[in-house]
Amino acid sequence: MSVVERTEDAAISRPKAVARRLRGPKWFLEMGWRHVVAICACLFALFPIAYVVSAAFNADQSLGGSSLIPRHVTLENFRAIFRTSQPAGSEFLPAHYVRWFLNSMLIAGATAVATVILGALAAYAFSRFRFKGRRFGMLALLLIQMFPQLLAVVAIYLIVLRVGDVFPVIGLNKPTALIVVYLGGAMGVNTWLMKGFFDTIPSELDESARVDGATPAQIFWGIILPLATPVLAVIALISFITTLNEYVIASVILQTTQKQTLPLGLYQYIDQQFGKHWGPFAAGVLLAAIPAALLFTFLQRYIVQGLTAGAVKG
Amino acid sequence: MLNKQMARVGTVLLAAVAVALLVLAPGAPAAHKAAAATTIRIWTDQDRKAAVDRVTSAWGNSKGVEVEVVVKPFGKIRDDLKTIQAGQAPDVVVAAHDWTGQLAADGLVVPIVPNKAVLKLVPKYARDAFSYGTGVARLYGMPTTLENVGLFVNTSLVKVPKTWAALEKSALAFKRKSADNLAIAVQQGAGGDAYHMYPFFSGLCGYVFGKTKGGSLSPSNIGLGNKAFLKNAPLIDKWNREGLITSKVDSSTAQNAFLKGQAAYWITGPWNIDTVRKAGVKFQIIQVPKIKCRAAPFLGVNGFMVTKFAASHGVESAAKDLVASYMAGANAQQDLAAANGRYPANVTAGKRITDPALRQIGRASTGGVPMPNIPQMGSVWDELGGAWVKSTKGSGATPARSAFATAAANIRKKIASG
Amino acid sequence: MSRAPVPTQPASRSTAAAVGALPSRLIATFSGPVGFALKIALLSIVNALSVWSLTTLASRDKWVPFIVLALATLAIDGIYLMRRAFPLKFLIPGTIFLLGFQVIPVLYTVEVAFTNYSTGHVLEKNEAITGIQGAALNQPENGRTYSMAPARDANGKLVLVLVDDEGGRAYVGTPDGLEPIPSSAIRRDADGAIVSAKGYRLLKGSELFGLDKQITALTIPTSGQKAIRAEGLDTAIELEPVLRYDRAHDQFVRIKDGVVFRDNDRGSFVSAGGQELEPGWKTGVGLKNFSRMIHNPLVRGPFLRVFVWTFVFASVVVLLSFSLGLFLAITLDKKGMGLQRLYRSLLVIPYAVPGFLSLLVWQGLLNDDFGVVNRGILHAHIPWLFDPNWAKVSVILVSLWLTFPYFFLVSLGALQSIPSELTEAAKVDGAGAWQLFRKVTLPLLLIAVAPLMIASFAFNFNNFNNIYLLTGGGPATDQPIAGSTDILISYTWKLAFAAGKGADYGLASAVAIVIFFIVAAISTIGFARTRVLENVA
Repeated sequence: MSVVERTEDAAISRPKAVARRLRGPKWFLEMGWRHVVAICACLFALFPIAYVVSAAFNADQSLGGSSLIPRHVTLENFRAIFRTSQPAGSEFLPAHYVRWFLNSMLIAGATAVATVILGALAAYAFSRFRFKGRRFGMLALLLIQMFPQLLAVVAIYLIVLRVGDVFPVIGLNKPTALIVVYLGGAMGVNTWLMKGFFDTIPSELDESARVDGATPAQIFWGIILPLATPVLAVIALISFITTLNEYVIASVILQTTQKQTLPLGLYQYIDQQFGKHWGPFAAGVLLAAIPAALLFTFLQRYIVQGLTAGAVKG
Repeated sequence: MLNKQMARVGTVLLAAVAVALLVLAPGAPAAHKAAAATTIRIWTDQDRKAAVDRVTSAWGNSKGVEVEVVVKPFGKIRDDLKTIQAGQAPDVVVAAHDWTGQLAADGLVVPIVPNKAVLKLVPKYARDAFSYGTGVARLYGMPTTLENVGLFVNTSLVKVPKTWAALEKSALAFKRKSADNLAIAVQQGAGGDAYHMYPFFSGLCGYVFGKTKGGSLSPSNIGLGNKAFLKNAPLIDKWNREGLITSKVDSSTAQNAFLKGQAAYWITGPWNIDTVRKAGVKFQIIQVPKIKCRAAPFLGVNGFMVTKFAASHGVESAAKDLVASYMAGANAQQDLAAANGRYPANVTAGKRITDPALRQIGRASTGGVPMPNIPQMGSVWDELGGAWVKSTKGSGATPARSAFATAAANIRKKIASG
Repeated sequence: MSRAPVPTQPASRSTAAAVGALPSRLIATFSGPVGFALKIALLSIVNALSVWSLTTLASRDKWVPFIVLALATLAIDGIYLMRRAFPLKFLIPGTIFLLGFQVIPVLYTVEVAFTNYSTGHVLEKNEAITGIQGAALNQPENGRTYSMAPARDANGKLVLVLVDDEGGRAYVGTPDGLEPIPSSAIRRDADGAIVSAKGYRLLKGSELFGLDKQITALTIPTSGQKAIRAEGLDTAIELEPVLRYDRAHDQFVRIKDGVVFRDNDRGSFVSAGGQELEPGWKTGVGLKNFSRMIHNPLVRGPFLRVFVWTFVFASVVVLLSFSLGLFLAITLDKKGMGLQRLYRSLLVIPYAVPGFLSLLVWQGLLNDDFGVVNRGILHAHIPWLFDPNWAKVSVILVSLWLTFPYFFLVSLGALQSIPSELTEAAKVDGAGAWQLFRKVTLPLLLIAVAPLMIASFAFNFNNFNNIYLLTGGGPATDQPIAGSTDILISYTWKLAFAAGKGADYGLASAVAIVIFFIVAAISTIGFARTRVLENVA
């Protein structure tokens, strides 16, 4: 399609910044201070996490103790979360870590993908069409999410209960129900972020495509989405992570152990009713953070590609 | 591009096919499975699932009743009961005794009357925990398991104290040995913890709610500022000065200190018995010795309740038989208590407990005070915990008398706001 | 974004275009007949699901949802088959979910705000009356208990065969009263359960369970108001009602002293002395929850203080998090900088750990006697969580830690929307780094990010978790309920769920509505000031 070729032409003609080798004080002014800032920021970001790591390898089942190095280093906490049968005398219930993990990935993955699509569709409408109620619609999207969620949980539970009565796929204990509920928040802020980004994609591209006979749907899928990769990746990541860590709504809908997500399943370890076993909990959380970190590492090239090639400076 | 006409035709066709398939398909949602003869639905938490399965199926087989056990997170049992549709509602639920007031006031659970034989099996204080009523006190649940905190003593560090004076002396002596040591490890933290502090509160003759003539708890009789307690309250200031207890200790700190041998005394419950054993600490559990009054712990009782839905499901008498009679039995209770490491309410089942630590914690419950089960208790926790935090935070602490008097006044205001 | 100078070409997106080339070619192939078929297939699925649900709804006589669903399906078909109405085609999918799971919960909250839904008020009135009658049965002193077996007499009438637990005398109980029978007619097993009764057929198994309602309704009068009722399957008990329901006047009368309990129009039967019968029922109470809020001294006292702190908390957290996130995003944006990717990945980690865990970790770290921050790092004795002012600092610090990765990510993405021509041009004009940032990068960035900042402000305005899990709203002040770090939402949560009789959904909903108007007003002012909306126009 001619539209796409034009885009590529445009993109290839970008000026590229030239890398220079620097030394000494000049290096520090250009580069060095950035490392100092980055290292300080990483320390701030990671030192609480270090205590989670410490707890994961600590036999004492404690958290945030005054020493970072565990007194008794052990892998038992990791073993505990993979133990699917309950050994005699164990205080833990059988864990279903693999199951929780898969449930979480399925729910967070599906929610992230669907959120990106639903959000982008709406953002496209707001960015490219002029229609009655557009301004109100955008404001309403943002305002509705400001409503305090004090009772939302009760309402969502009731909805799922009633809808599930007719439509068992969206009933209690169904991952689909949870995904569908999460998608209620797909539009909101994400739509604003994407719309802002879509606005910067020159409308000349759409125009010429339209002259070539493309429908709005084709322009959306063929031009806008591919060009908006960075922001789509950001939203996918944010949505994935928030879904992965969501506790309250998940706890209302997924009520049996086997159906639960990671935060719910792991929560049993720190439930006061059975003493707070920080070890297995921390171990489970650490393993669960890996996919999110990998996903970010993978998506990073889409998120920052323009940055590295461009010339925005601080 | 295809024309609109075809589009419409295509959609209608495909939709019609799909409809035909679905309507004809077996197992369309309207065709629910026919109800079995008599089914009782029970809501339980995951931890007790296996035990509840065993116990209730034994009962069900003997009576010819089917039992359907549905798993819910423990707290959700209480919350979901309010919103559940009658068709999916349970007939019997696992419950904590301190839900009694709320659930009874809501009208979601119905009173039970056990027969005389059962009354002998389950002690009165455990049954009182499930009793509620503003006019007439009725029993709303059958107690099955008990839990309470006790004083865990590290016997390789100190001798088990016989009196409060001995405990205080030995704890302070231990604390002086090292800057890292705690005298008595009891969890509070910035948010406070009225539950774990209760032995000290009752030991100074404090109580939360007094009783009416009819024997039920009275939300207008607040015991935080009672004369005897206020007279004893300066002892709290003394403990604070000595560093016997400090609100800076939170649950993690307390646990760490005891497991690492930096505290010889720890106030905690049966849920930590395994943790202490695994850490290889030699210990014994006692009740905190009498201070000015008996230092009784709060008692938490779990049990079973019959819901109002049992009547509309036509299984009320069966549900009451299960809860008021069968669940009181020693065998049922033994199994249920073992399922989550608690002490059974049934006296005979209690005698069968062999685990020494569990026996000790059972003994430490003597004279225990069931956590008030009236809904007004919600107004108490934060204030009572907060008074302890303020009066035991080391330097800058509020004198206990004023902290607890303020708390009592605040609780009155909060209850009045309802 | 009419204000931003429109660049002639998009910002560098060579990779994006390359990546996009494949899908767009795929899409090109799938448009035309294939794309059209896809659309028809999707619509058909929607229609099929809808018809399937309609049959179910119809079979259960749920006609309101039936009509709503039918109309919605027709509307969807219409819109997607029309040539025009493009915006709707793009907005409908998200809107369906938005309506279902955001708008309906809001409407539900609004509805509850006008009711007395709370502890003691969850049932319907008729259920409540049954509940009161059931709870108002007293076991009289010397009240008797019986071993019991439901049975049929020679005429097939339902009776209870009874053996008095004390004395062991046997009876047959009917709605007419007790009738002694010889104890020899009854056989009991070792546990005392009745095994057989001469002249009566004991009910067993499914026959017994099938008669549940008749058995529980059977009352055998003894003396006065006292009557024997079945309890379970093998026990009967003598009970005496304390209250009598007077259906004609819709009131309860206490039998002992004739005190009358009348319907107070707020879901309870109440005596002249103010005594209330439990359970009550759920009913509309108009604006009462709102007026309670205004007249409640627990609200009037601390409201202003809590409101100011909430505002400060939310604004400071957003401003700090945004500044830090953006600063880091820009700092790490340097061609040729080593370890860039690693730094970026590490900075996102706080975001990848469930918030409730981090908050609990921070609580430990900030403990002023035992926490790492004081003992290990600062060697100071700062009362992070125990001093009202330091607790505020802690709450902000921890919220910053939790929030900045979000703005870091968003800034990374939003920086892409800044055309490099502009920055290049500014540099050619001799702009310094700071000027470039102030005059070009920040204004352009704010266009995309300002709405997110406002949303984040609103989110933190209602950030119950951060407060509740870190300080629980404490340290306590002398005022009831409102601690030093309580924000409006945590304070009102306590007001609705930890005061009075606990769970007061009506009050909570009313409060939620008021808070919503406050946040919405502030946000709308924010929108006006950042002129974000003008960009939408």
